[in-house]
Amino acid sequence: MKVLVVDDSKLARLSLIKTLKEYEPSAEIFEAENGAIGVEFFKAEHPRVVFLDLTMPVMDGYEALKLMIEIDPKAQVVVVSADIQTQAQARVLSLGAKLMVPKPINSEKMLAVLQQLVF
Amino acid sequence: MQASEFSDDHLDILKELMNIAMGNATASIADLLQAFGTMHIPYISVSDLNGLKSFIEETIPNDRQYYVTKQLFGGMFGGEFIFVMTDESAVNLGNYLYDISKPERADILDAVVELTNILSATIVSRLTEELNTKVQFFVPSTELVEGNNLIGLAEILDYHKIIIVSTQMVFQTQNISGYIFILTKGEMIERLRHLIDQKLEELYA
Repeated sequence: MKVLVVDDSKLARLSLIKTLKEYEPSAEIFEAENGAIGVEFFKAEHPRVVFLDLTMPVMDGYEALKLMIEIDPKAQVVVVSADIQTQAQARVLSLGAKLMVPKPINSEKMLAVLQQLVF
Repeated sequence: MQASEFSDDHLDILKELMNIAMGNATASIADLLQAFGTMHIPYISVSDLNGLKSFIEETIPNDRQYYVTKQLFGGMFGGEFIFVMTDESAVNLGNYLYDISKPERADILDAVVELTNILSATIVSRLTEELNTKVQFFVPSTELVEGNNLIGLAEILDYHKIIIVSTQMVFQTQNISGYIFILTKGEMIERLRHLIDQKLEELYA
């Protein structure tokens, strides 16, 4: 399974990947440090699931999400963000995200995401 | 590496934890204002007083007045939380919270302190929770300061080696925004580095 992780924090990516590997040790993981690079990986690799941060330099998560959904309306994008405002959640869901999970993502939250989108 | 030096990993994790803390704080203030706030990418830097002066000069326009609220916190990690808000934003906040067109100075002060209390408690508590420690808060104080005197505040001048953690909170529709600084120094910088090292060990284990 191909998974794309888009976050400007290297350690946020590391933490998420470590949690993901607990359930999907063989996942092929692509990392991007901003939305623009994330969209390029998305076009090239067609990942089954995308974990996307919102607050990033160069291109934020909202813009990246919009572009990913334009490229593939069925894309399985999970927004993982510190922004836990209900309006932020409503906005990303209206843009086409499948789920929004508050940071930091732990084993329990990861399992819930995978059960909903993968297993 | 010197005891007080931070690697890129230290700064990255501090930025990420601040991001999480800021997310919680923005949501709390959004509830208070019944509005949607914009989060900014936190700026993290290890600096000295000159670096702090330059940063403030570049970030905050000096041609207006600001409500500056300062709150000390201490424990395994300690420092000072500073919230800087333009006079205009503070009036808008008082206006919005009290639902009156011309709030009294006391009402504005009360609104600014209330907002700062929520911000500092949420941000610092969340930050320290992620670092597996706890802190105690001291009573905050607020004063109205000219922009060109922001860096002349006696408490700020007391900082030599400083970690600047800075971000901005913006509620555009209500025209309310503010600058947030967390300053820490001396032994506390070393303690913070130790707490981040523990977090890094957890991640790399």
